[in-house]
Amino acid sequence: MSYACAITEDQRDCYQELTNVAMGRAAERLAKLLDTFVQLPVPRVSMIENSDIQMAIQEVGQDSSVSAVCQGFAGSGVVGETLLIFKDTSFANLASIMNYTGPLSRQAELELLMDTASILIGTCIRGIGEQLEIDFNQSHPVILGQHCQTADILKSGNSTWHNTLAIEIHYKLENANVECDLLLLFSEESVNILNKKIDFLLD
Amino acid sequence: MSLNLLICDDSGFARKQMAKSLPPDWNVDIHFATDGVEGINAIREGKGDIVLLDLTMPNMDGFGVLEIIRREDLPAMVIVVSGDIQPEARKRVLDLGALAFIEKPIDTDKARRVLTEYGILTGI
Repeated sequence: MSYACAITEDQRDCYQELTNVAMGRAAERLAKLLDTFVQLPVPRVSMIENSDIQMAIQEVGQDSSVSAVCQGFAGSGVVGETLLIFKDTSFANLASIMNYTGPLSRQAELELLMDTASILIGTCIRGIGEQLEIDFNQSHPVILGQHCQTADILKSGNSTWHNTLAIEIHYKLENANVECDLLLLFSEESVNILNKKIDFLLD
Repeated sequence: MSLNLLICDDSGFARKQMAKSLPPDWNVDIHFATDGVEGINAIREGKGDIVLLDLTMPNMDGFGVLEIIRREDLPAMVIVVSGDIQPEARKRVLDLGALAFIEKPIDTDKARRVLTEYGILTGI
């Protein structure tokens, strides 16, 4: 079954603004945990083809290895996946900010990754859900890879969605070499439901 | 002469939300700017006695706008309306001379409370 889904400029703008509010809340929680300032960018909202997801995530992983987590969410007929991609060079700094001592084992890095993911993904999804009056449930997070290339991450990814609403947020900690990309992907069936809710807000 | 109020946000949806949150019986001329550069130009043209200012914007963000207002001593009372609710963001904008901070999404109550608290809304 194919769904003709697209978003108008007004809808795109509204998604961007809802994301803005949600990512601000996530940044606030992360800033409190790390006692640092999170630089917030303008989020990117677009309809993309499955084949373009690769391009969307390449920015953060350019010329460096990455570690990534994905986590699904669902509510009110809307389903999606989140992808959090960390630049591997971020871990040493993240560890020192969080007062980890000693050599940074793979396990310790994994903990850092999961802790940060749970804050950034959870708060963001809840924030967007709240504004659209959707109560999202989240599945367990899954590690997609540690110290790998972005191309490897997607091999295990979902390839059944052809056309996806993608929201991309690039988080950066100030004065610390910590960077990550949070990608929210909504299934094509979800976009029509979301668009109806968005139109209600725009009215 | 009525006051000039400038709404500066890159999102059309957010600009509309801000405009709708203002007291309906308030006699102000509302102007709009879609990023920091447009915002500063509008303030220089005298369209921003009061400014509702977003922080996260392309071209020039809200922090940049506040810096220029301060450097050039422009006559604008700025209320920051932002989703960036980090305590540090709030502290920075107040240090840069903003009058108040309103957390997004803005609504009628939040707007009226702040406008009243700072004596901007008088006589209605």
